[in-house]
Amino acid sequence: MSFQVATLMSVLPALIEAALVNLRLAAIVVVLAVLGGTGLTVLRAMKIGVVNGLIGVMISFIRGTPLLIQIFIFYYVAPAFGLDLRPEVAGVAALSLNSAIFITEIMRAGLQSIPPGQVEAASALALSRRAIWLAVVLPQLFRRILPVLVNEVTIIVKGTALLSVITVVDVLRTAQQIASASYRPFETLVGAALCFLAINLAVMAAGRLLERRMADARA
Amino acid sequence: MRFDIGILAQYWPILLQGAWLTVRICLTAFVVGYALGILVALLSLVPSRIVQALVAVYLAVLRAIPFIIILFLVYYGLPFAGVRFPAVVTGTVALSLFASAYYAEIGRAAIVALPRGQFESARVVGMSPLQAMRHIVFPQILRGLVPPSVNMTLTMVKESSVLSSITVAELTYQSLVVQGNTFAPFEAFAAVTLIYWAIAILVARAAALFEARTGVAERQDVERSALAASFLSLDRRPAR
Repeated sequence: MSFQVATLMSVLPALIEAALVNLRLAAIVVVLAVLGGTGLTVLRAMKIGVVNGLIGVMISFIRGTPLLIQIFIFYYVAPAFGLDLRPEVAGVAALSLNSAIFITEIMRAGLQSIPPGQVEAASALALSRRAIWLAVVLPQLFRRILPVLVNEVTIIVKGTALLSVITVVDVLRTAQQIASASYRPFETLVGAALCFLAINLAVMAAGRLLERRMADARA
Repeated sequence: MRFDIGILAQYWPILLQGAWLTVRICLTAFVVGYALGILVALLSLVPSRIVQALVAVYLAVLRAIPFIIILFLVYYGLPFAGVRFPAVVTGTVALSLFASAYYAEIGRAAIVALPRGQFESARVVGMSPLQAMRHIVFPQILRGLVPPSVNMTLTMVKESSVLSSITVAELTYQSLVVQGNTFAPFEAFAAVTLIYWAIAILVARAAALFEARTGVAERQDVERSALAASFLSLDRRPAR
């Protein structure tokens, strides 16, 4: 057998259309995960013993188990508790929770690198707790963790491919459908791979651009 | 919602079989992937544009594409090239390739981070080449290598769950079998989750022990005022 470029070309339009599903789901997950991660970080900083203990267990759980299993739990186990989620909703929920936890861990590392004098100075100026978070700590934190955050976005984009396993019709599932009709699985999968390559290279380029902008803004 | 422990009493042998296969696949992929990764890391240091471009493409492709697609590409690509392996072998090959890209980046970073002249300085103070490597160069490379490698290995163990989709009877696959037979997703996934969690904790503990034994562990305590710590530290008690 040889690689048929014509086959690849003919399936590409349908795959690109399906890739928009991945793009849309990934965008929703990024927003939810960044908000959730920031919320959890502020919550952890309040140092409420029980809450931090619970978050600690959740971090260990999410980091210690496969994303695929977490997706299965939202899809198969949640209905047993009366939560009947559509595949897309279950998938987005699982990805968002997973990523929010990883983002709080990224933020923990970022917080270590902010000079303590910043907080002390803000406090000496009698800024409120809220203002210290919003005006002093968080803006610097996001600037510092930007590269790692961009990396996390590419992980989210890749994670959306797993949703095909719970019947979300994304690039991969579309590719599998086309392949089972055309008997050319390899070319079709190469097409799906190219879609992800394009999206993630674009995400990385955008991240670099954003970093440069921020560096300029500071100078 | 009740938890039927009887299901686990009945199905624990196949879950354990799955766990054992997961461990074996991951050990193989760790060894093969790490060897390949170090090779790619060394290639990336070769001062040739063509070699560097090839390495860059290898890393970009393997890191930008979801593992499930890499797996399917290998699964359908090998027969395409006229090679047929059992699914377990195909899956291990894909997992090794996937991991090699990340190990390569880790290896490259650790080598590049080594300050120049460490080896020469050690030689000048009278160490033999072997001593210089053993006491000066190697510990420093290891210090940069171990923590991210542990992280990546844990990531690899978790990604191995995706092999279930090409019918490799590893842990996740067995959980789906139990689920399919019993219609009890809660029990099946709870058991599997705990097994993965246990594997992850064991790997992390083993790595910590290794770091302590070899003395590459690096503890950094940042001194902060209580006030700054209340914002910048997420631990339950503020440092000092």
